[in-house]
Formats: sequence, structure tokens, C-alpha cells
Amino acid sequence: MAPPVGGDLLEARGVSQRYRLPDGQQFEALRDVSLTVREREVVALVGPSGCGKSTLLRMLSGLAKPAVGQVLYRGKPVEGVLSSAAMVFQSFALLPWLTVQQNVAMGLAPDGKLRSGDTAAVARAVELVGLAGFEQAYPRELSGGMKQRVGFARALAVEPEILFMDEPFGALDALTSENLRAQVVDLWLDPATGVSTLVVVTHSVEEAVFLAGRIVVFGTNPGHIREVMDNALPYPRDARVPAFTRMVERLHAILTATLLPEGERPAAGAPRLMPFPRVHVSEVMGLLDHLVSRSDGSASVFDLAETLGVDYDRMTSVVRAAEQLGWVVTPGEVVRLTPAGRTLVAADEADRKSLVRARVQDHSLFARIITMLKEGEGAVEDDEILADLTILFPFTRPQGLYRTVVEWGRFAELFDHSARDRRLVLPADEMPAEVPGETA
Amino acid sequence: MQNALLEFLTRRRGLSLADVLVLGLLAAAIAAMVAFGRQAGAPFAQAVQIDLSPAALPRYTLFSLMRGVVALVISYVFALVFGLAAASSRPAERVLLPILDILQSIPVLGFLPGFVLGLVALIPGRNAGLELAAILMIFTAQAWNLALSFYNSLKSVPEPLREACAVAGWPRATVFRRLEVPAAAPGLVWNGMLSMAGGWFFLMVNEAFQLGDKDFRLPGVGAYMSVAVEHGDRRAMALALIAMVVMIIAVDRLFWRPVVVWAQKFRLDDSAGEAPATSWILELLRRSRLRAHARAVRKRALRTVRIAHQPIRRGLRRANRVLRRMPRPLPPTSWLVRITGWALLAGAAAAAVWGAWRVAELISRIDRASWGTLGVAAGLTFARVLLAVALSTLWAVPVGVLIGRSPALSRVLQPVIQVIASFPAPMLFPLVVLALARVGVGLGVGAVALMILSAQWYILFNVISAVSALPPQLTEATAVFQVTGWRRWRTLYLPAAFPALVTGWVTAAGGAWNGSIVAEYVQAGGTTRTATGLGSLISIATAQANFPLLTGGIVIMSAIVVGWNRFVWRPLAVHAQTRYGVTQ
Repeated sequence: MAPPVGGDLLEARGVSQRYRLPDGQQFEALRDVSLTVREREVVALVGPSGCGKSTLLRMLSGLAKPAVGQVLYRGKPVEGVLSSAAMVFQSFALLPWLTVQQNVAMGLAPDGKLRSGDTAAVARAVELVGLAGFEQAYPRELSGGMKQRVGFARALAVEPEILFMDEPFGALDALTSENLRAQVVDLWLDPATGVSTLVVVTHSVEEAVFLAGRIVVFGTNPGHIREVMDNALPYPRDARVPAFTRMVERLHAILTATLLPEGERPAAGAPRLMPFPRVHVSEVMGLLDHLVSRSDGSASVFDLAETLGVDYDRMTSVVRAAEQLGWVVTPGEVVRLTPAGRTLVAADEADRKSLVRARVQDHSLFARIITMLKEGEGAVEDDEILADLTILFPFTRPQGLYRTVVEWGRFAELFDHSARDRRLVLPADEMPAEVPGETA
Repeated sequence: MQNALLEFLTRRRGLSLADVLVLGLLAAAIAAMVAFGRQAGAPFAQAVQIDLSPAALPRYTLFSLMRGVVALVISYVFALVFGLAAASSRPAERVLLPILDILQSIPVLGFLPGFVLGLVALIPGRNAGLELAAILMIFTAQAWNLALSFYNSLKSVPEPLREACAVAGWPRATVFRRLEVPAAAPGLVWNGMLSMAGGWFFLMVNEAFQLGDKDFRLPGVGAYMSVAVEHGDRRAMALALIAMVVMIIAVDRLFWRPVVVWAQKFRLDDSAGEAPATSWILELLRRSRLRAHARAVRKRALRTVRIAHQPIRRGLRRANRVLRRMPRPLPPTSWLVRITGWALLAGAAAAAVWGAWRVAELISRIDRASWGTLGVAAGLTFARVLLAVALSTLWAVPVGVLIGRSPALSRVLQPVIQVIASFPAPMLFPLVVLALARVGVGLGVGAVALMILSAQWYILFNVISAVSALPPQLTEATAVFQVTGWRRWRTLYLPAAFPALVTGWVTAAGGAWNGSIVAEYVQAGGTTRTATGLGSLISIATAQANFPLLTGGIVIMSAIVVGWNRFVWRPLAVHAQTRYGVTQ
């Protein structure tokens, strides 16, 4: 049985965070986020990549300071890293030149000299995660799952009050992560570990429902909290019971609403400028080809992600791209082929090109770039377009968006890119007529 | 006495022959240090008499080695301080990195006279000043790449590792000692190896040179060689060359190889080696039994030390109790590091301003005619540098591709080439000049040959490592599609080697410029031969103690090298990497 939730432990009050990107621009990772973590609860932070969930985790732990707002621990402002906390990292973050034992002892004996009490604590932590016998091994010799066990042992060795986990199972295979996930719940339920509160950042909906009592859903641009969902299922949880499945579906619905907001569809009258999702031509074509094989040309985003073996985040981006080009519609969580989409799939290779071309050149962003090209007598410098994209979409990395735009433009044969001259050019036969050929 | 010690040691259980060997090596190292210290502390002798008998050579070689080792230790300290300071803040980074870039590309030999006069004046009556000048000159050939390597390692420590240390509550000093230095260890070791080899380049000049009417000479293998050349003593010349080769091989085998193997433990990535240049040696070492040997030796050494220091341990423990009560030194917290950084910055800025003022003052004394001479000389040397690089490319690229293409060949030849490349080319100059003179080639053309000697290896090395790192699929693809013979070279090997070739050119041109100072002004067979050029101008200005001309020569050479790096090599390197970089 899970212990009852206690009083307020950690509180983020109106925190915002900005980063300076290598190209000198500012990126707002979080805006005005408030969240309270209570004693003896498990909080999961979920959302698409770039929503600032890891940033919030780092601010709660004291690793990062918010640009605006403050973080309180038991009512007092947090100064520096919380001494009562430990953290488990996605990349394990083990020092390769230290043995398992020395890594686990990192928080106990910074100088590497183990006192008798420390040795006992290390042995206990190693035992808890099932690593006994591996004390003298180096991380290099261990599998990913074993490495993350070392990560957990290192965290447990200091008997932390709060355990922060940043996508702890993200780098592991499915079997290993399921095994470790169940063990984390056991460790939390076990009063002997001393861990009272868990804050976990995760990508996986099932993982959040399996672990957390409260699930915080983030939105992007800039990162903010969309919704907080309570999950009162009794521990230990079983993923096969209907109540669990229902909870997963509810969270799916919330996430879909976050990722595919209804307002994004281009209005018929004045086309609003919007960034194009960073996906490849072949991915969108693959989605359409797959949808045709479905009974009524439709499926839910989560179903698609699972069947096609794609990250949920990625799947949503592909769907959004197809939607912006008018090949699918997304009522609720369902993705459905439009007649235009069906025509495209049925067309042969040559027709496909012209169909894609017709759609892409009507897309507001591509239309704008083509106008720029025509005004620029058939060629525009990369830097000029990048500057334009930066002004239009301050929250996106212009280089990445530009690469995607170039790929789609090339596929549709709307424009070409010259890596040598670092500029975008119209194809030769598209050169504006008023520019006379230099035939003096 | 020796026997008593041995007897005492063997009485304590199990001291075997291996332990005695380790102790012997330790004792030899200490003895060498003591002898070197005695020489440095000896009353000032401007030009020591160099004894050309073979029996004296081991001692001279050891002295030279000591200078290299001391300089390397100073270089490491400099690298750690510089790296920390440069990585501590963005302003520091913006000032320190360009300074380093300039320092590593200008010919430091020109600063020798200033160093010598200053240090000899600073420590009058002792040889230490002259020794320090020689060591500092070696240091200037060793330090920069070490500093850059440490800085790069600091910047590339993965963020989660830093966070893990922060969460574990490690103080700044512990992070430095247990995270930053270990993470930088492979780079520091590899670059230390290169630095040590580079430090020998000017050994002959560092140990024996003339400044105006003054003749400075230090006991060492470089001075031995100069004197042998002066006397035309062929046997002594050959002996000096052999001594040099033996020293290089010994240092490589006894010191660097085990250290390189040991440093593998500190690699951050799980899979392959980080730089392609390192992989071949790691590969080689993994195949050899040296690692096991090194481990055995280390274990022995630790055991030996443990047994041998038992008698003094009790005393130490007693002393410890007293020491604990004394005030302890402050750990280097981040503000301390920052202040050190700023102090370093301020010091560097002050030194730069003062140096610029001095240089401007000296240069203003050069008359118009001398400027004309300088211009012509610069043009001639520049042409020789380009020619040397071009000729080196002509032979080193095909040979490099041939060697790199065959794993067996590169495995056999790489260590050999490495030793040859570590050999200071200027020591061969007198011999080459005499040989060329016999077939009627003057120094005007001969200097190019000498500059090739100091430039070619960089090109060869880079091409070999690039070609041997080619993904095998690419070779297979060319084979499947019948791309053979010259077409394969043109479509695969040459483009793939191009980025590495550019890197090779940068270092080779640097080597040729450095070499020009000694290549255009060679004393051989009792006569001094010169070829008109910037290098000989600098050497002559040194010999005549004409400081304005010397400064003018150095400034022009530095300007050409730095400008060429900035405006030719760097854009070329960027282009080569984006267009021909093999990353998939």
C-alpha cells in the first residue's frame, strides 16, 4: 500500500527560464510555471520534447536557478543543490574511471576514502538494486540496465528524501525498463530505503501512469503546464487491468489536445504563418501509405505510433505536417485520410510530385519563401532566410526548420539549394520572366 | 651503504629482483636529477667545455632529457592553470584563446636572446639563469597544444557528469581532481607525447648559441652535436645522433607507452578512441603485451614503495597529528579560480601592452634600407616554405595513402615513422648541407631540403590516419562498382584524405617556418653558410645582437604565419571538412 501524501515539500513559484543558444538568440524554455510537490508522493512530468520538463526538474533540485520566480524547499528558498535530494540520469552519468563501488559512494565520500559507515551504506544500496557481486566492476563492463542500477544505487546510498529521475529508463530497451520500473515502485514502497518522494520526467505515457500519483502535462512554445491529472490507482499497479488502460487513454487524450491543438488548422480565408514540423518527405508518405491500409483510412495517434514503432512525439509531428498540407484531418485523437490524401497515395511517381508541389506551394510558409525568391531575382542568401525565420518563429531553431523547408522544396521542385554559394535558388525554368538572360 | 640498504630491504619479506630493478630505476632518476641540479647551481660558466669523448655522452644526453622533462612539467602546470582560467568565464575565453592561437603559430626561437639576457641578469653568478632560459625555450615548443587540449576537455565534459557531481555535493577542488583532470587525461597524455617530441626541435640552438660576441653553451647532447659539427668530428656527430635516437626510443618505450595504456581507463566514450590519430597506437598497444607488463610494473612499484617506506611511516603518522592542527590551505573554490583567471588575464594584458610598446620602440629604429632587406628576405623564405610544403605533399600523399590502405603495413611502419618524426630535424642539417655541397647545391636551394625535413612528417601522419580510418564499406563500394586504379585514388582516397591533408599543411608550414631559422643559416664543416631569407636574417641579427632587426624579422614572420593561418588555412579547413568530411 502506498503511504498517505503529506504536506508541501517543494514548491516552484512562477518560475521562468531562458537559454542563450549558440547562435546568440534567446530561447524561452519555461514561462511562469508553478508546481507544488508534496511529501510521499510520486509526480511525473510529461510532454513533448522541448517543453521544459527537464528544466523544471533541474530547478526543483537546485541544479539550475530560475531566471524569474523562486523554488522553495519546506518554505525556504533553495540555495544551491538540495542536500536531501539525489538524481538518476538518462545517460547514467557514471564516472568511467571509478568502480561500481566508488560510483555508488560518490555522494557519501567525495574524496573517495570510504569510512566504515559508508561501506555499509554502499553495500546496502548495491544489495537493494541487485548489484551484489559487481562492486569492483567498471561501468564500461556493464550493460545499460546494469549501469542504470548503479545510477539508482548511487542515489539510494545517500538515503535521499527526494529522488529526482530524468527519463531514467529512456536509454534502456523495453524489457529492461519494465523490470527496473517495477523495482522503482518497490523501492519507493519499501520504508527501509528512506526515499519518500519521487519526481520523474518521462516520455512514456504508460510509465507515467504506472509510477505517478500526479501527472503534470506540459505544453511547448514556451514550456508551460497544460494540465495536472491525478492518478489514484492502487500500488503496485498492473498495466493489464481496465482501470489502468482507461487512465492511459485519458492521458493520451490530454497529450493529443496539447500536441494537436484544434486551432492550428489553417483558416480558409487568411492563411496564418506557421512553422512546418521538422519531418522528412518519406515519413509523411509512409504515414499516408499506412493509413490507406487501415479499414476506414483512420487510426489514433497512439495506435499509429505503436504499430509503426515510432516515438509518440515524432508521430505527432508527422501527423501535423500531413494535416498542414491537407492530406489528413485530426478530429480528437483520430487521424483520418482526406480525399486529397487518398488521391496522392493512389497516384504514380510522376503525378505524386505535381500533387505534392501543388500543396506545398500553397502552404503559407513556402509561399512566403517563393515570394522572397521571386523578389530576389531567383536567389536569396541563406542568412537572409534564416533571419526571416528567426523573426517569424522566435521559439524554433531556424537552422533545423530551414533544413526541412529545403528538403520539401527540393522534393516538390519548387526551389533548389546551393551549398557552395550558401543560397536558395529557383530552378532554371522558374526564373522570373522580367530577368533577361545575359546574352550580350 | 648501498649494500646495507639492499640487505635491509631484502630482509623485509619478499623483495625480488623486479623490485630491485624498480628501485634502481628510481635511484637513477633521482641521481640524474641531483646531477642536473648541481649543474644548474654551479657557478656561471658562459660556455662550458664540451667533452667530445663517447664516455661523456650519456651524461650530456641525460642533462638534455632533464631539461625536456622539467619543461614538460612546467608545461603541464601551465596547461592546467590556463585551461581552468579560459574555461572559467566567457570574457577570459575571448581573450585567452586568441592569445594562445598566436603564441602557437609564431616562431618562438626569436625570443631566445631576450630570454637569455634577462634570465642571466636575473640570476647572476649561477648557471641557473642560462638553464632556465633553455628550459623555457623548450617549454615554448611544448605548452600550447597541452593547454588547448585541457581547455577542450574541460569544455566537452558531458553536462550530466557535472550534474552528478553537483548532486553528490562534491566541492570544486574534488570536481577538478576526480572529474576534470581524469576526463582530460587521455588528451593530456597524447599531447604530452607530441609536446615532448616537439620540444627537441631546437635543442641544438637552445643549448649552444652565440649572441653578439658572447658564446653561450650548456652541457647537453645538443651542444655536443654543435661542437662536433664545429670541429668536423664525424664520429662524435654520429654518436650524438645515436644518443638522440636511443633517448627518444627509451622515453617512448619506458614512459609514454605505459602511460598511454593507463590513460585509456579515463576515456569517456565506451566505444572507439576519440581522435583518429590516437586509434592506431591504442590498437597497437592492445595487441601487444605491454599492457600486462605495465600493470605488473605498477603493482611491483606500489608494493616496493609500500615495503620500503614502512620505517618512515610511523614518523609521518606522528607528524600528521601536528600538521592537522595547522591552518589548512584554502581549497580552490570557484571564486578563487575566477580571481586567478582575472589576474592571469590582467597580467597577460599588461605584458602584451608592455611588449607591444617595446616592440614598437625597437622597430622604429629600423631604417628604410633594412626594411627593404626584410621585405625581400620575407618573400624568399615564404617561397621556400610553400615549395617545401608542396614537395612534401608530392611524396607524402601517395606514400601515406599506400601505408594507410594496408593495415598490416601501417601497423609495422607507424611506430618506426613516429620515432623518426620525433627526431629533431635540425640535428641533421649540417650533415645534409655538407652532402648537398659535395654535389654542388648551395644553401639557397638546400634550405628547401632542410625545411622539407622538418615539415614532411606532419603531412605523412595525417594522410595515413585519415586513410586508415576510412569506412571499409567505401572501399568495398568502389571495388564492387569497378572503380579501380587511378580512378579510385581520384574518387576515394584523395578526397577522403583532403581534410587531414589540410591539417597536415597547417602544421607542416609551421614546421617549415620554424625550420627556416636554422635552415637558412647553417654552421657546418667549420664554415657558416647562409641563404638570403627571413630565417637567416633572424639568425644573423641574433649573432650580431642587432635587436631592432631581430624584432622586425620576428614580427614580420609572425604576421605572415598568423595571417596565412587566418585567411588561407582556416577557410580551407572549413571547406575541406564540409565538402569532404567522411561522416555519415
